[in-house]
Amino acid sequence: MRSIAKYFSGLFIGISSLLKGMSVTWRELWTKKVTQQYPENRDTLVISDRFRCELVMPHDENNEHACTACGICQMNCPNGTIVVTSQMIETEDGKKKKILDTHQWDLGMCTFCNLCVITCPSDAIKFENTYENAVFTRSKLVQKINHEGSKLREKKKEVKPVEAKPVVEAKPVVEKKAVEEVKPEEPKAE
Amino acid sequence: MILNYSQPLEVTNLTSWLDSTLRGSLSEFWVLLIEFVIVGALLLAAYAVIALILIYAERKITAFFQARFGPNRVGKWGLLQSVADMIKILLKEIVKINRSDRFLFFAAPFFMIVASMLTFGAIPFGKALHAIDFNIGVLYVTAVSSLGIIGVLLAGWSSNNKYSMIGAMRSGAQFVSYELSAGFALMTIVVLAGTMQFSTMIEGQRYCWNIFNGHISSMIAFVIYLISGHAETNRGPFDLPEAESELTAGYHTEYSGLQFGFYYLAEYLNMFIIASIATTVFLGGYLPIQVKGWVDFNGIMDYIPSYVWFFGKTAVLIFLSLWVRWSFPRLRIDQLLNLEWKYLLPINLVNIVLMVILVLTGLTLTDLLPGIF
Amino acid sequence: MAHQIIFFVLALIIATFSILAVTSKRIIRSATYLLFVLLATAGLYLLLGYNYLFAVQIAVYAGGVMVLFIFAILLTNKPGENLKTELPVRRVVAGATAVAGLAFCAHLIYWNIKKVTVLVEQADITPQQLGHSLMGTDKYQYLLPFETISILLLACIVGAIMIARRR
Repeated sequence: MRSIAKYFSGLFIGISSLLKGMSVTWRELWTKKVTQQYPENRDTLVISDRFRCELVMPHDENNEHACTACGICQMNCPNGTIVVTSQMIETEDGKKKKILDTHQWDLGMCTFCNLCVITCPSDAIKFENTYENAVFTRSKLVQKINHEGSKLREKKKEVKPVEAKPVVEAKPVVEKKAVEEVKPEEPKAE
Repeated sequence: MILNYSQPLEVTNLTSWLDSTLRGSLSEFWVLLIEFVIVGALLLAAYAVIALILIYAERKITAFFQARFGPNRVGKWGLLQSVADMIKILLKEIVKINRSDRFLFFAAPFFMIVASMLTFGAIPFGKALHAIDFNIGVLYVTAVSSLGIIGVLLAGWSSNNKYSMIGAMRSGAQFVSYELSAGFALMTIVVLAGTMQFSTMIEGQRYCWNIFNGHISSMIAFVIYLISGHAETNRGPFDLPEAESELTAGYHTEYSGLQFGFYYLAEYLNMFIIASIATTVFLGGYLPIQVKGWVDFNGIMDYIPSYVWFFGKTAVLIFLSLWVRWSFPRLRIDQLLNLEWKYLLPINLVNIVLMVILVLTGLTLTDLLPGIF
Repeated sequence: MAHQIIFFVLALIIATFSILAVTSKRIIRSATYLLFVLLATAGLYLLLGYNYLFAVQIAVYAGGVMVLFIFAILLTNKPGENLKTELPVRRVVAGATAVAGLAFCAHLIYWNIKKVTVLVEQADITPQQLGHSLMGTDKYQYLLPFETISILLLACIVGAIMIARRR
């Protein structure tokens, strides 16, 4: 007797649960479609700010950047995506100084791990969310991200003391740290 | 009675005109030959076109169920997508499998497509759109559709592939079990209608569809027929013969090009065939909705051509099938056989007895309320 | 004329595939050829106007028995491979049995051919008539012997087990 009751209760519970499932999919049928119609909705497409697509070096209106050509980004890159070439010049007061020649970034090799941006002591580079990066040849993926004829922003400029100060304070600390971190690695690698 | 209303959109006049003109100039033999060829060609064309439409509709509705857009690049709203797919499948190479039984390998898809084609031919699409009207129509449909399983079994065997083999065995077990339920569900309605012929069965549903006429019993039979028909077509929650996560593609793993196309086509057409037989047997076939006494209403409803009614009702059932397909997860083989042998079949047997009692004691709606139905 | 053409086509199919069914070495091919024979026989019934018999032939033989056959063959372990040719004595015996069976059938058909034509004339039996003669209780009704056909199914099952059995 009990088994008969169990049989029928199981049957009706099964039917009701199936109907419940069908009601869920019925509601789903009328929900708003989530697919992005990409080439058509280019103008309205919202890409999150944190989305990493392209490494850029911000330049100000005087075509100046903050990169000191220290090469920490290059050392921290797990894939060897970044190649920083620098040159030595002599300033007016006779000091020797290293300045950036080219900062080369290979999009094809990059895993967008953000390590270069985190470790940069002078916040010279960052990732932008410009996502349309497709090109026709592989060589175009290798980009020089510092502009032509740009130069290092002088930190003594008192135009923006508020902004410049933290950079001055932070720079030596981070740089030391980075150098300390990197140095023990070098013998290992060799 | 039927011809009192104006039905300008029916094809009855066209077919009778064609027949009389042919008979005017040719002998009986040639008239029949030409007519057979025309009917055959039309059926084949309809088969392909309906399959294309179904594939498009399936992809669209599937997408809507998953909050996507579906195909929308080829043509307006992606209307040409299935045409493009067809061209692609026609151009693909037919791969010859090493160490397979070549003859059976190539013969198997034909069993599948011939079985569904034979069933397709017996469907009444509308007035004057009924290719062959056997006096045993229901039995014919169940008999002929059972041929398809041989194609599946042979495909599984001759592919010389374990996945195909397991898929074919599963499909065989599933088909043989569920064919029983489908047949019994149809027989329930045969008891109610008192005929196996599709045309008389449809005529008997002029004012009261069979699903309402036999109320409880008919409803149960309808649901059981839809479930078992769904299982017979290897779709939806019953698609374990081609469960792609475990069997790659089941019995048609090794097929490519047009041969795969045959299986694909037959699968979609079987869905259509199940829906259209359910329409014919349960939902009044190509007849419009009519109410006794409402002459004007009946006239308006009759103005809509019968094939529109048929395809409309069939489309509703196909939508139902897709809805089920995208709602439920795939069954396991033991659950599948449990459902058939422990639930559907006993319920079905009881249901037939119930229907016999309903008919004999005069408890059907036409007997109870002769004024309305 | 059309009937004649269709009949000869069907007869040719039946003759060809019955010979192929017994001569083929792969058992699954034999089964398929047998299926063609059964389907062509169904075609003959259709040609005679026996719609019911046609449907039953397809449902029972093609849809039922053949599926069982193929299922059983699929369960065997590499059927048809390294099949030995039988001894000549056995071959002669088998041939003699076949000829005897053929002669018996031919005798029956030859002496009853007139009765058969009489039966053919009252073709087109409705399902109602069939149902009454199967289940009714009057004279010439209640075809219990029809049930004995199920013995054939039993024979099929036994044969399938014999084939599927591992030696």
